[in-house]
Amino acid sequence: MGKYIAVRVVWVFLVLAIILTLNYTLIKIAPEYPPTTVDAKEIYYARQVSDGYMTERVERNEFIVISMNNQELTIPTNAYYEDEDGRYRIYEPISVALQYFRWITNIVTDWDWGVSTRIAVNQPAFGVLSKRMGVTLKLNLIALFFYIPIGFFLGIIAALKKNSWLDNVISFSVMIFISIPSFVLMTLLLMFLGYQWGWVPTQFPAADLEGSIQFVGLILPVLGLSFGAIAGLTRVTRAELTEVLTSEFLLLARTKGLTKTQAVLRHAMRNSLVPLVPGIIGSFVGLLSGSVIIEKIYSIPGTGRIYLRAMTEGQYDYNVILVSTAFYTTIGLFAVLLVDLSYGLVDPRIRMGARK
Amino acid sequence: MTDKKDIKEECIEQEQFNFVQNEKRIFDKKFDTKPIGYFKDAMIRFTKNRGNVVASIILGVIILCSIFVPILSPKNAEVLEERVAFLPPRIPLLEDIGIATGYKSKTDQQVDMDTIDPETGLGLPATIDSQYIIMDTLTNYWVECTEEDELCIGGTNILRLDSGSTAVAVNTAMKTYMPSINSEITIIVDEMFGEGAELNLMMVDGFGAYKVVATITEAGTYTINPFDTLTSLFTFTAIRLELRSDDASSYASLTSIEVNDTTQEEPILFLEGFEFSELELVSGVDLDDDGEPDYAGSWGRSQGQRLMSYFEYDAYAFVFGEKTENVFSKSEYEQILIDYADVCVISPDPDNANGWLFSEGCPIVKVINQTESVWVDTNKDGLRTDNEEYYNYKLVLNYAQYKGYDEIPYYIFGTTSQGKDLFKMIWIGARTSLILGLIVSAINISVGILFGAVSGYYGGTVDLIMQRFSEVIGRIPWLVSLSIFTALVGPGQTTLILVLIINGWIGIASITRTQFYRYKGREYVLASRTLGAKDGRLIFRHILPNGIGTIITSAILSIPYVIFTESTLSYLGFGIGHGQSLNIFGFELTGASIGVLLNDGRNKMRTEPYLTLWPAIVISILMITFNMFGNALRDAFNPALRGSE
Repeated sequence: MGKYIAVRVVWVFLVLAIILTLNYTLIKIAPEYPPTTVDAKEIYYARQVSDGYMTERVERNEFIVISMNNQELTIPTNAYYEDEDGRYRIYEPISVALQYFRWITNIVTDWDWGVSTRIAVNQPAFGVLSKRMGVTLKLNLIALFFYIPIGFFLGIIAALKKNSWLDNVISFSVMIFISIPSFVLMTLLLMFLGYQWGWVPTQFPAADLEGSIQFVGLILPVLGLSFGAIAGLTRVTRAELTEVLTSEFLLLARTKGLTKTQAVLRHAMRNSLVPLVPGIIGSFVGLLSGSVIIEKIYSIPGTGRIYLRAMTEGQYDYNVILVSTAFYTTIGLFAVLLVDLSYGLVDPRIRMGARK
Repeated sequence: MTDKKDIKEECIEQEQFNFVQNEKRIFDKKFDTKPIGYFKDAMIRFTKNRGNVVASIILGVIILCSIFVPILSPKNAEVLEERVAFLPPRIPLLEDIGIATGYKSKTDQQVDMDTIDPETGLGLPATIDSQYIIMDTLTNYWVECTEEDELCIGGTNILRLDSGSTAVAVNTAMKTYMPSINSEITIIVDEMFGEGAELNLMMVDGFGAYKVVATITEAGTYTINPFDTLTSLFTFTAIRLELRSDDASSYASLTSIEVNDTTQEEPILFLEGFEFSELELVSGVDLDDDGEPDYAGSWGRSQGQRLMSYFEYDAYAFVFGEKTENVFSKSEYEQILIDYADVCVISPDPDNANGWLFSEGCPIVKVINQTESVWVDTNKDGLRTDNEEYYNYKLVLNYAQYKGYDEIPYYIFGTTSQGKDLFKMIWIGARTSLILGLIVSAINISVGILFGAVSGYYGGTVDLIMQRFSEVIGRIPWLVSLSIFTALVGPGQTTLILVLIINGWIGIASITRTQFYRYKGREYVLASRTLGAKDGRLIFRHILPNGIGTIITSAILSIPYVIFTESTLSYLGFGIGHGQSLNIFGFELTGASIGVLLNDGRNKMRTEPYLTLWPAIVISILMITFNMFGNALRDAFNPALRGSE
């Protein structure tokens, strides 16, 4: 088991490294979008030089300066030439491979993910993201605690009343809510609850507003995140519990003289929980990537919105994209790892990584 | 539990309990029923579940609609037509019972005060012709206003000091009145604020200087005879109201001023509300002889009221009714006369000598006038002059007929912000989504089958490497691949398709690989191999056809996922967008998809909810039925998998 966990953890870091490497090299090939104002640009390029991504030199050669004035020289991608009255200060990027190693070194030694170029000019990119993690995590955790009991409850009811009208209604609703894209559902909720009936604010309330408004503001995003998750959990719970209810050990429990309630609560429920626990851990990832869209629709100042803003056409903020990539990929990979490991922990009969 | 008792009562008689063909000799017999093949068997299982059949039929209808509606509908879905923008849904039959009537509501429309009906007390709005208004829905209400215009009625006017100033004054115009011994000035002061604030009423005395007639320090109604304090008055005097205070926060709020002659019934001067606010601020008066003007302050409206109306109006009749075109080109005018030669009969307009009327049925109702002609030399070579006359018409159109409709058209889902038919747009969008779904799925299936086949067939190290590869690719979150392609290619359809295929094939690949592991060791494969079949033949002729049922059903289930992602990305603005067009194998698709339509409706949720509602309903139904169809298909082909969703 220990060896298996070690191998899996190493594998997670390997995949993370591969994805980040791919992302970094591909993005560095694309044209850069430095800050727009002259002052911010100077600070940005000075910082690039001190971080070791670029080299700086001054060109005094008359002929070259003249031809540069006439814009006859082709400027290499992502280089920046600063006109200093008769001479040029030239910032040129070093090769992408070297930049990559500098970047890794900076992250490992100083936890320096570079600076933001467009969203919060010259602020550390990690700070831009971490400031917004709180809202996103809060929202997702609330949604998690909201949907689990409801999903369980509906799933259990559907399984116990299998093939009754109640089961049919629940199963049909599950089918509907699993199929409808979350952004469509969120838009409809926002339109009816927010705009048409005016029960909830139409935008996520700002952090400095009073508590009651904050609470009401959470209703929509939590609902938007939960509907699909409730449907998914209900469906799995129902499937698992129906299977367990028809198994032989439950019949044995009944013949021993347990009431139906006792049999269901003590024997069926516990056994059907086994495959559900990992699923719930996994669903956190689903919620996170679903919350990106909901954050955009409801103007929630979270990580997902920052990620999308960093991708605005012509306003790319590469360092923020990279740090967001790392954030989402890490959470996704560790969730998958936890799911796999928890199978073994929840049910000792399952031996993860066992050979034949 | 059907108790033992029941069974006892149902006891079967001994003699009934014997074998049917006991002691008979049985020879080879023909089947009484027809043999059931693999597909027929699947079909029977498929039709067993009625819900799935209904879902499949609805899906079929959606697909047919998305093929035929864009071809057959004559409505506009291409060009901008501002006049018909934002028409609400109007559906035949339903409109008769009050649903989807095509009525639009308007709030806060200024009432035209001349139209107030003495019986009902309701006034009509000034903005829309009364013939389009649904009279039952018309209500009037008062709204507070501070604007200086005639329709902002009543309230008070406030004389306020600027900071640092100690006095401010306003004058009535010099017209005011002939002073007589019988005259009285009544002034109503609503509020006085400020330490030591004084409001002086001043008039011009016989020597031509402003003199204080009365000083007011508290709110109240004051009636003043100027001859009580002054001995003489200038013939044409103005009344000046002056506020003096050392406290810069002082102000005086005045309701009205009235000048009466006790010998006459009508007041000589009565000012309140807006008219009162038209008094002029006095400037340039130097009170303390220091060379600087001293009056500084403001005079403004407060607590006025405006009569507003709320009403519903027939948006369709309004849009497709008569429309005045100020500039209508001569060539278009002549074209209409040619096209409608049989219905457009000109007759003189008795009310307008410059214009003329047209008979009913003609797109042009009447011409108001013809603009002045301009002569333009159209010959570009400069050798000759070919002068051509250019002029325009100012005329009234019947908009429905001008657009080629015999009667007012029905837009059953309403129109978009660009005046396009939402119904047609939705089906065009659904078509784009479906075609994109098919194409992306086709790519995913091909890549997936090839990858899975090679990985599963060869196994060993090849399998191990390919599995690790697909695991890494499969672990890339869609946001990450989106960010990479957006940075490299820019948002658009290329990015969309790349994001969809980057890890869309992995599911199919892993299913294919499982199928290959299952079948590659079978005897018939071995037999074929001993006969000398090559790998390609074994893969595609022997193993793949056996696993194809599972692969195809999972491929069909991947189509809704593609549509799902496509609409999400388009909604976020990273996929298809207006103005883009997609050219795939000769199909020219417009840049509309349902995600784009939903994005368009996002800012109009309060006023035009139908722009969001219809696309949301259609895409929801599409996704639900597609999923149900896919599940039904899988259950039909693999009954063992039933229920494990």
